[in-house]
Amino acid sequence: MSDARNLWSHRLAVDFRAALVVVAVLAAAPIVVTSPYTLGILIVSMYFALLAMGWNLLAGFAGQFSLAPAAFAMLGAYVPGLLDYHWHVSLAVGIPAGIVGTAIVGWLLGRVVLRLRGPYLALTTLSFAEIARVVISNSYDFTRGAQGLNVPTLMQSRVGYYYLFVAVVLVVLAGLFFVMRSAIGRFWLAIRDDETGAESRGIDVVRYKTLAFALSCAICGLAGALYGTFSQLVSPELGLLLQTGIVIAMVVIGGIGTLTGPLVGALLVYLASEWMRGLGNVQMIVFSALVIIFARFFREGLWGLVARRRVRALPRAAAGAR
Amino acid sequence: MTLLRTEGLAKHFGGVAAVDDLALAVEEGEILGLIGPNGSGKTTALNMLSGFLVPDRGSVWFADENVTGKKPVALARRGLLRMFQTTRVFVRISAFDNLLTAGLARGLDEAEARERARVLLEELTLTPVMYLDAGQLSGGQRKLLEFGMCFIAPPRLALLDEPFAAVHPVMRETMARFIRRRNEEGHTFLVVSHDMPIVVELCDRAACMNAGRLIAIGATRDVLQDPVVIEAYLGSESHV
Repeated sequence: MSDARNLWSHRLAVDFRAALVVVAVLAAAPIVVTSPYTLGILIVSMYFALLAMGWNLLAGFAGQFSLAPAAFAMLGAYVPGLLDYHWHVSLAVGIPAGIVGTAIVGWLLGRVVLRLRGPYLALTTLSFAEIARVVISNSYDFTRGAQGLNVPTLMQSRVGYYYLFVAVVLVVLAGLFFVMRSAIGRFWLAIRDDETGAESRGIDVVRYKTLAFALSCAICGLAGALYGTFSQLVSPELGLLLQTGIVIAMVVIGGIGTLTGPLVGALLVYLASEWMRGLGNVQMIVFSALVIIFARFFREGLWGLVARRRVRALPRAAAGAR
Repeated sequence: MTLLRTEGLAKHFGGVAAVDDLALAVEEGEILGLIGPNGSGKTTALNMLSGFLVPDRGSVWFADENVTGKKPVALARRGLLRMFQTTRVFVRISAFDNLLTAGLARGLDEAEARERARVLLEELTLTPVMYLDAGQLSGGQRKLLEFGMCFIAPPRLALLDEPFAAVHPVMRETMARFIRRRNEEGHTFLVVSHDMPIVVELCDRAACMNAGRLIAIGATRDVLQDPVVIEAYLGSESHV
């Protein structure tokens, strides 16, 4: 029955398959893309894709609008950097520590903002992000402040880094697919749509909201930790609000509340921004205008538009059923 | 056996006593109607019974356990479920997914939740719209869907806040039939309603609140003919 295509399990499966195709294209790209510079651009775009997937988990699936994904990437990048700088702890410990550390901070932030919604939630997460960034900027003795901190690299091979990022994107994507297919994912969707309704049905809203915060921040922390070792320099600029704005633009343009959308959005926006680099601030005007257009006319984003074509017959069925 | 009872329940908002010294008892297996004029405190009382408001004073006992101040999720796990006056469905997933989610939240495994969802959709005449997002359903269909979400794993007590308000008569009859059938199976209901004919038809007993206080409780027809109720709720010239 064609209408069954609107079931969450079916929508998610189609979404996941499309995202796998995108990852497959990424995996095949080095066959034709051999320039280290272009590979570097693709690596950074995958860093943003991870941030976009992390933020989308929280905002798109669980309905919690945070303005701190870049701040968590910054924290995730600083943990292995600081562990190495001060105590010579290897990256094999530092990177997992960055992921766990951001998950814990995310969980704590989730507890603090538990009863906040809409603009209050957004402002509180923004305040947290700015506090974290300013503290790191001003703690020169410990973090080297705005000068930044050198971080050791995991490997010298750019192609190696490229495939590391492809693998991490794939693992995060698969993890999100399995979580969203489970009861946890369904509970997040319920909380997103109606928190009070979810609570009244027996969903432990406190538990699942804080879990969403912790997982989302862990993904952002992972992205930051890997990016830090790739760029070999972390600085408070990683946590700038502008970075968060770019992540949100990627998700909105690609398709919020989907698996494919943030991935496609991150790749398209970052590659386009590189292409328009020579135009200066024009790129920000273009992306801002695109966000306005998508938010106003195409709220489902690029992937949402594609997915909607698949279930276009449903509204007609609705009219007949009423 | 008394399934739910309150003792001296009170809630104030600023200087206003929304509920004052409420002593209410719901017997297992009955349908108790809760009536009263607008602003009499019915919804505030329901909010305290279902854990959405913490009482200022008094206690709530459910199945001989003091559940005062417990969260809605804890009460739902004990089988005390609430339906809201304004429907609360998950608008961006299908009607079927709404039921499946509610079933999983109540601890059913997925296969069982799927099976029960299909049976409920059929009973509630929602099968033709089961694949539509809940946000695309009409108001009446959403209310029926919320009934289904409440009963995917049958509750010990269902608190229904104005379930018949602004609903097409055909759907209202579907809801009434659903409640009657579940009640015959032994389920207990507390129904807040302004729809007097349906209160008379459905409810074994009725309780009337006015200005936050319980002013009458007993057999439904007796309550509706009580002069205190008529004066407070129906007006001095009205009759049932």
